[in-house]
Amino acid sequence: MAISTATKAATDALAVNRAPVSVGAQEVHRWLQSFTWDFDKNRTKYSTKYKMANDTKEQFKLIAKEYARMESVKDERQFGSLQDVLTRVDAANRVHPKWNESMKVISNFLEVGEYNAIAATGMLWDSATAPEQKNGYLGQVMDEIRHTNQCGYINYYFAKQGQDAAGHNDARRTRAIGPLWKGMKRVFSDGFISGDAVECSINLQLVGEACFTNPLIVAVTEWASANGDEMTPTVFLSIETDELRHMANGYQTVVSIANDEAASKYLNTDLNNAFWTQQKYFTPVLGMMFEYGSHFKVEPWVKTWNRWVYEDWGGIWIGRLGKYGVESPASLRDAKKDAYWAHHDLFMIAYALWPTGFFRLTLPTAEEAEWYEANYPGWYDMYGKVYEEWRARGCEDPDSGFLPLQWFIENNHPIYIDRVSQVPFCPSYSKGASTLRVLEFNGKKHSFSDQWGERMWLTEPERYECQNIFEQYEGRELSEVIAEGHGLRSDGKTLISQPHTNKDGRLWTIDDIKKIGCVFSDPLKAL
Amino acid sequence: MSKSSNAYGAGIMAKTGKAFADEYFAEENQTVHESHEVVLVLKKSDEINSVVNEILLGDRKDDNQTLIVEDRAGYWWLKATGKIEIDCAEVSELLGKQYSVYDLLVDVSSTIGRAYTLGDTFTITSELMGLDVKLKDLEKA
Repeated sequence: MAISTATKAATDALAVNRAPVSVGAQEVHRWLQSFTWDFDKNRTKYSTKYKMANDTKEQFKLIAKEYARMESVKDERQFGSLQDVLTRVDAANRVHPKWNESMKVISNFLEVGEYNAIAATGMLWDSATAPEQKNGYLGQVMDEIRHTNQCGYINYYFAKQGQDAAGHNDARRTRAIGPLWKGMKRVFSDGFISGDAVECSINLQLVGEACFTNPLIVAVTEWASANGDEMTPTVFLSIETDELRHMANGYQTVVSIANDEAASKYLNTDLNNAFWTQQKYFTPVLGMMFEYGSHFKVEPWVKTWNRWVYEDWGGIWIGRLGKYGVESPASLRDAKKDAYWAHHDLFMIAYALWPTGFFRLTLPTAEEAEWYEANYPGWYDMYGKVYEEWRARGCEDPDSGFLPLQWFIENNHPIYIDRVSQVPFCPSYSKGASTLRVLEFNGKKHSFSDQWGERMWLTEPERYECQNIFEQYEGRELSEVIAEGHGLRSDGKTLISQPHTNKDGRLWTIDDIKKIGCVFSDPLKAL
Repeated sequence: MSKSSNAYGAGIMAKTGKAFADEYFAEENQTVHESHEVVLVLKKSDEINSVVNEILLGDRKDDNQTLIVEDRAGYWWLKATGKIEIDCAEVSELLGKQYSVYDLLVDVSSTIGRAYTLGDTFTITSELMGLDVKLKDLEKA
């Protein structure tokens, strides 16, 4: 068939001037800059009080082709490792049973954060006007989808290949009764996606990602390896390879508002609120998971926190921005106190409320107690001797009829839930930065554990109306609530959570709980 | 053990028990202090191990003598004062295959500081890119 005149002309022209066979990715990136979009009539779900500049950069000059190639290599390496060598060496059964339980919490909770970050960065895409900044946010939307899948896959892998699947699979069904779920939703959901778009970016990118993903996703891999878990480093270190672009997005969000007058008025308050919001949950929960959920200790949690949060995030991110008016968070002193003590307080409460969880907890051994006392002087007198009493009363044995929650009731140490963070606390038995404050609004009492949350609540009390488990289940018997809240294994009688990880120990059933006759009561009603 | 102030266990981190607590809770440590260091976390892999051993701790060791590299199980933890730079053209030559900054980013797990790419070079710096210093675009050939 004869070729057309136009095709022949094109063929002849190419014979003289060859089209380039390869163009560097950053050359394409430079060429793309000649395209601009008009965002004058940008519509966003939540507007922002800040004006974002329209010449903000994306630091990695990433184009779609290189992004796709890079991410596919990451996935090939990660899934290749998991499905090939790690399965062949039976890696999931080499994990210490205590750490196996920690990963039920860490990966399931991180999955929720990643899922909400999809919406958060979509909202930021709507808000920004600089094309490169939008490009950075768009890459992050796709990353967060990948991360949601990766976190789900970790739990799937542990459930399928490893030990004690209950809790790795379908943890979310216990979200109504588990006392850690609602606080996690506050930091990982509400904090990322509700409110001023730039404030959400500060929560997600500048604090959540630039600060807390380092202990949560990087340092955790060292604890995992020490406890026989090679799956988590394989997946989490791959997740974190995207986080550096997210940290850069957070920094560029600040760059984009640095010269806006609103920044001098609001940025420090927004930063302090975001820092307190994120630390209030991450600090005690991560510390508890690392130290109490491991057999082999890497270092005291307070040192991990001091390195990644105080010295490096505080000094390298926040400290360097000082000349642009960014101040040290006002709540830092209380956060540091929490980093030293709050995870010990939280473990005590979590162990007392163990039947409402979806993972197994273990009391510290004598050897671990020595480690705690050496690293946290004063630990034994506050916590260690109580655990000895609980153990002596048979807290691990279903025949004992003893739940540690009874100890709190007998000793008049009521447990409250902080309205803003949804984190449980016991003001009369605590060494962290928690003290009880109670306010009334619309005929309802609200408890707070600190001035920082109380201040946030006072500015918008309607935002924090979530019922806590004591309000929700007041007057209800515990076994009834557990059954209703899907806290049972597939046999319909054994609890998912247990107060030990001893493979020879008997597991608690719903009947063991029922015979104790424990009834929920709301401590605020007694005030 | 390294005596560098950039080491993983330097300063307060070398203390334990009450000595650690005393410094940790000291009044001067209740606010953040500006730091000109940068931290880089590199996921261990065939290529990254070569970058660390042959380039950062090899040919380029004298470029920044404050650089500390520590083995933290699944990753390399790097800390330096000022900046850390990796030229992927050099890595490409070392590995004997094409290796761009985007190949490097496959295994760069975390950054504390301002990280960016320009051509074949990956940089993490304590400079405030976009505020004190303009982020450069690739120049036309």
